[in-house]
Amino acid sequence: MDHENDFVIEMLHITKEFPGIKANDDITLQLRRGEIHALLGENGAGKSTLMSVLFGLYQPEQGEIRKDGKPVKINNPNDATALHIGMVHQHFKLIEVFTVLDNIILGAEDTKLGFVQRKEARKKVEELSKRYGLAVDLDAKVENITVGMQQRVEILKMLYRDNEILIFDEPTAVLTPQEIVELMQIMKGLAREGKSILFISHKLNEIMEVSDRVSVLRKGRYIGTVNTKDTTAVELSRMMVGHDVQLVVDKAPAQPGETVLKVTDLHVASRLYKHDAVKGVSFEVRKGEIVCIAGIDGNGQSELVFGLSGLEKCTGGKIELGGVDITHAPIRKRSEAGVSHIPEDRHKHGLVLDFTLEQNMVLQAFEEPRFAHMGFIRFGEVRKYAERLIEEYDVRSGQGPITMARSMSGGNQQKAIIAREIDRDLPLLLAVQPTRGLDVGAIENIHKQIVAQRDEGKAVLLVSLELDEVMNLSDRILVMYEGEIVGELDPKETTVEELGLYMAGAKRQDRKKEARA
Amino acid sequence: MKKTSFFDKAGTRSVLASLVAILIGMLAGGVVILAVGLTNPALGLSGAWEGIRLVVGGLFATGRTASGQLTFGFNPASFGNMLFRAVPLIMTGLSVALGNKAGLFNIGAPGQYLAGTAASLYVALSVPTNVVPSWLVWFVALLAGMLAGALWGSIPGLLKAYLNINEVLACIMTNWISANLVTWIFDISNLKNMLEGTKSGYIYKTSTIMNDVIIDGVRQTVGAAVPEGAQVVATRGGVATGKMGLDQLFSGSQVNAGILVAILIAVVIYILLAKTTLGYQLKACGANRYAARYAGIQDRRNIVLTMALAGALAAAGGALYYLSGNTEFFWNTYQSLPGEGFNGIPVALLAINNPLGVVFSAVFMSMLQICGQKLTELTAYNEYITNVIIAVIVYLSAFMLVIKTWIGKLRSRKAVDK
Repeated sequence: MDHENDFVIEMLHITKEFPGIKANDDITLQLRRGEIHALLGENGAGKSTLMSVLFGLYQPEQGEIRKDGKPVKINNPNDATALHIGMVHQHFKLIEVFTVLDNIILGAEDTKLGFVQRKEARKKVEELSKRYGLAVDLDAKVENITVGMQQRVEILKMLYRDNEILIFDEPTAVLTPQEIVELMQIMKGLAREGKSILFISHKLNEIMEVSDRVSVLRKGRYIGTVNTKDTTAVELSRMMVGHDVQLVVDKAPAQPGETVLKVTDLHVASRLYKHDAVKGVSFEVRKGEIVCIAGIDGNGQSELVFGLSGLEKCTGGKIELGGVDITHAPIRKRSEAGVSHIPEDRHKHGLVLDFTLEQNMVLQAFEEPRFAHMGFIRFGEVRKYAERLIEEYDVRSGQGPITMARSMSGGNQQKAIIAREIDRDLPLLLAVQPTRGLDVGAIENIHKQIVAQRDEGKAVLLVSLELDEVMNLSDRILVMYEGEIVGELDPKETTVEELGLYMAGAKRQDRKKEARA
Repeated sequence: MKKTSFFDKAGTRSVLASLVAILIGMLAGGVVILAVGLTNPALGLSGAWEGIRLVVGGLFATGRTASGQLTFGFNPASFGNMLFRAVPLIMTGLSVALGNKAGLFNIGAPGQYLAGTAASLYVALSVPTNVVPSWLVWFVALLAGMLAGALWGSIPGLLKAYLNINEVLACIMTNWISANLVTWIFDISNLKNMLEGTKSGYIYKTSTIMNDVIIDGVRQTVGAAVPEGAQVVATRGGVATGKMGLDQLFSGSQVNAGILVAILIAVVIYILLAKTTLGYQLKACGANRYAARYAGIQDRRNIVLTMALAGALAAAGGALYYLSGNTEFFWNTYQSLPGEGFNGIPVALLAINNPLGVVFSAVFMSMLQICGQKLTELTAYNEYITNVIIAVIVYLSAFMLVIKTWIGKLRSRKAVDK
């Protein structure tokens, strides 16, 4: 079939401005009927803005949207729905205590005399589910089903509404590797059945795997559209970032020095349950090495870092930093003793979103003499400092130091936190998932910074869920499983498969015996 | 970076949003006046027109001519009384605004206000002024009031910080405890006004002169005039806020230097929040308690400190109002809470929690009170009509953000049109 010019949706010359920034600058995106079209770009490149324009959440200053070749006006999401445009958001919009079926029909339910007609709805959903291979349990409550199934529910929601244009906003961010493979199959199946798919992502291998064409955005501009089969991951990353990207970190062998952090038989309570999340963990981190804590999410890594940083009380054991016992020290004392911390949750812990960028840059340091005099903040110094960090670490924002943190893109928020923590220049760096949700360009940058910190003689404790990151960046790997360290591995000698066995709890070393030997 | 124009600044928009809220409130008040006037044969359309003029310009009303026409002009007594009544509103407004900035809803201002009133009255009326100079008694009484308010405010603060009890619940309960405690303390005190026969429901004005005397071996309290043969043990009272010439500027009013003290405190709070490390900490805790904790800021200490400061501010409102020397406190208050305490909430909302804005919104609220007074004095209307206006404004304050974005949209539409 030749569908060269059969466009189901065209966004022509879209321009959308926000105060101080052109989020979309003359962007054209043409979606062919029945294709999977990937939209690739760094954080803050304008992907979300473009989709919000398509969804009627924003009105563009310039440009035109066409459906089946006819110009349309989309003033709000209801207009988008009427045009059969549907979206699976990165964070699902489901009601946890409702059943799967009720979630699917919610807002589009057929009623007779005010009663919901579930029987026919069930038939339709079951049919769709069979046709597209979307296995769901219609009577289960959403809170009890896996993330992968929740996503299938979201897809069924779109299909139930007879949507023809399906937008997937970074759908793989929350999935396990097996679930990602399944999703790819589902997407291909949908396209075969004539649905047109817009796939927003910055994961190159997924785009190479599933898409027909790729449109690339960079800093709000349209860079180009290419056929996936005519391109490579390297070329795509160059288009996205604007220069060559190293997908593998280049680093010299570690030269560890004396011990900085010594943890002995540490226990940390879990906030949710009445048992210890960390059960007797012992390890050391030395100067000039990156030690990585690997593991599947929820095996006590977060709590371990909370215990080390002081956000959670330790229920047993000992933490020594440079020979000083800090097990029960308050957060400020630990910070002064030499712990910097890139937190896992940048919105909850890392930033005060309603503060400006410069205020966030001095979140710990605002009382130091360089920023405060007799209890008064030295605003000039804070501004100068923030400007230096913004420059050095390439933190991009609409209005520089006075930008509200909330209005910045996720990647630049993370860069701001990393700038702040690294610039404090402390002997120990705790970095928890420092590249989560970031694009390759930003990841490369952050990896380089972390390696540079190591080479300067800092002790780095990295917690990561990404196997690539673990293998690439670390000098030593500690695997955590159910609150314990079950193995210590050398990234140069181990394989991803072996690591996986430890992470799944299928294999473990007796570290105590080895330590004695 | 592009320079933002005057109308695109967040501050300008906030002020505009407040003005829009006021305007709509006034319009709603006008509609109510019209409706009441037209349904009341005693008022009619002309009465309604008078009512509307008084609600808008009641501050300038000077009375009626012989032929019954309303007269308007500069009325120094109304102006002075407006400033005088603004003092407690400024203080409770600051109290609520400070709490809001730190993420705490201080609905405990009435209780703190009462605690401050009681402590300052107790000190002002108990310390013998023949020993201690009355200006010093005044000052100590103000401090005692603020201290009492700080202690009272810190109770919900401590409960919130260490037991995670919602401060709104704790504040509402401490309000009533305060009302009952104050009633009980004054009931067993010797500060009830026994010198004027009908006034025993009230506490002495602080300006009252009382002499503790011994007549025929019996100790008793008499007024300024000491009976012959009585031996004076101590003289109390005679404490009042200085006028600093304001009474000459606004003759016939109750105004005193309290308004200057209140403005000074508002400036101090503004500087505290905007310029100091303490203000930075409080705002950080308010905006994101978790991030503040992550950064090593002691969020628990800051919650208690904020509530104590807020309590001291509300209490200073009560102290300044009753230390004026020309107001008397109805002590049997266990069934009611002072409106000044609750009115701090609309004052702070209207000022969008800006301490300097609080001064203006408090003066505005007290102007509405004067207008209401004039309505009662000069027409058949009831002064409570101004409460409708306040209610509408408070209601709109909750939509302030909507109004702000609405103004923003209006601006950007204009920009497109150009």
